[in-house]
Amino acid sequence: MSTSLDETLRTAVRDLASDAAPAPDLASRALGRGRRLRRRRRIGTTVAALVAVVAVTLPFVLLRPRPAPPPTTPTTPRLSATPSPALRAAPGPDWAERPLVLPGDWVVTRAQTADGSGSGFLLDRGRGRYFATDRYDGIFPAPTGSLVAVRDDGRPREIGLFDLATGKTRWYEVGRALTAPRWSPDGRRLLFTTRQVDHFGFVVLDLDGTRKTHPVGELGWPCADRCEFTWTRSGREVALALSKQKSEAWPRDLPKGVQLLSADDGRPTRLIDMPGTPVGPNAWSPDGTLVVVQGQQEPLLVETTTGRVVNPLPTADVAWVTADRLLYRRPLGARDFVLADTTGRELVRQPLPRQLVSFELTIVPR
Amino acid sequence: MAEVDGEFTAFVNERGAVLLRVAYALAGNQHAAEDLLQNALAKAYARWPRIRGDAEPYVKRILYHDQVSGWRRRARRAEVPVADLPERPAAGDDSDLRLLLRDALRALPPRQRAVLTLRYLEDLSVERTAAMLGCRPGTVASQSAKALARLRQLVPALDELTTTTEVTR
Repeated sequence: MSTSLDETLRTAVRDLASDAAPAPDLASRALGRGRRLRRRRRIGTTVAALVAVVAVTLPFVLLRPRPAPPPTTPTTPRLSATPSPALRAAPGPDWAERPLVLPGDWVVTRAQTADGSGSGFLLDRGRGRYFATDRYDGIFPAPTGSLVAVRDDGRPREIGLFDLATGKTRWYEVGRALTAPRWSPDGRRLLFTTRQVDHFGFVVLDLDGTRKTHPVGELGWPCADRCEFTWTRSGREVALALSKQKSEAWPRDLPKGVQLLSADDGRPTRLIDMPGTPVGPNAWSPDGTLVVVQGQQEPLLVETTTGRVVNPLPTADVAWVTADRLLYRRPLGARDFVLADTTGRELVRQPLPRQLVSFELTIVPR
Repeated sequence: MAEVDGEFTAFVNERGAVLLRVAYALAGNQHAAEDLLQNALAKAYARWPRIRGDAEPYVKRILYHDQVSGWRRRARRAEVPVADLPERPAAGDDSDLRLLLRDALRALPPRQRAVLTLRYLEDLSVERTAAMLGCRPGTVASQSAKALARLRQLVPALDELTTTTEVTR
């Protein structure tokens, strides 16, 4: 570039930066926000101290078991006499001592704030109990096995794989501008959306550290809403929601459908017209004929072959437990888990321990 | 705790203005710049014992990282609309040109503004800019070229300053 243009641009950028007005209370406001962030990271630890039982020192830094509470009466979930929906008992104060079993025989494996920051709880399935974690900025247990993907804001290019069985963590470089990891349904691969400049696509990381990056070019329509890839139920493909029209006024884009791409080589495979976005692999029915999506206005149950809306549902964040049963958290109130049929009729309701109500939960088949 | 708070406050008081300039160049307006910076500072505070002594690079990394992470989410509303193309300034009127350019920079998409911020405010090379943004040097070059094309569209007087070599070098 010519020196003149170079200097003019440099001056203009510095002029722009100089438009920043002084922020006299910057330190105090940042301090306040930082304290709130730090408090959030500590809440889980404090809560755990109230419910834990036996102080056991584990040989790793990630997990810190809490002392056990005094023996209590068994709190095996039981059905209440209420006919519809059946209301299960709330877990007792010693809930952390055993897996939280949900209707449909699924279990809670992780509880953490939605953005992955701060303290949380993690199920150690080998020991059959929950532990508080506060070291990492995100914990993502695999749906099977003993591995936990962990993130550290100080290592933004990497993902750690912590093994609950051995206490060892291996770190792998994945890249920059990554979303949170998403485990494949078989727990053998991790999926990341990469939002690098002009380098949109996805990355698949095998458990041995083998990494495949798949840049994704034009797909005919722009990606919708959060522009994030998710696994399909089979784990052979990943899904990306596309939009007919980006929406300024409405909170969500006008959906076009879902583009499926091969997880192995990144090639587009199928475009399924549907009026919304599946949240993850569990949103697809076991036989693949139905899917629950977040529509532009409301969550919807949709036929995958035709895109026809079958009926609305209370939430899009569902797990298909069987061919005709859905497990999800009620979106409002105490956010109980419910087992419902595909029309949204509640069959069984399971309250959560009070300490977990505000957390985002990860659930998997028991 | 008091020691951490004291160190952190001293750091912000000392370096806050510099960091706010970077945040402003990235965000393009005061409110968004303060929000971007406060978020980065809050993360720094939460990790202070681990990053003390290296806080400024950490905060800058978070600023750019947060900006990059939000690009796709915010892309469709992050450009500041410019109602009319700026008037062509009289030849030789550098101060007018600078003002027009400053306004035109606000109209760039965040990714292009971030590239120019790193190149011209932080004086980083193409390679270091690429490393900071997590992309290839070629991408930095292409973003720079797009930014320049957009600036030329908004400020036609720039053509008079341009020879054949561009910011992509």
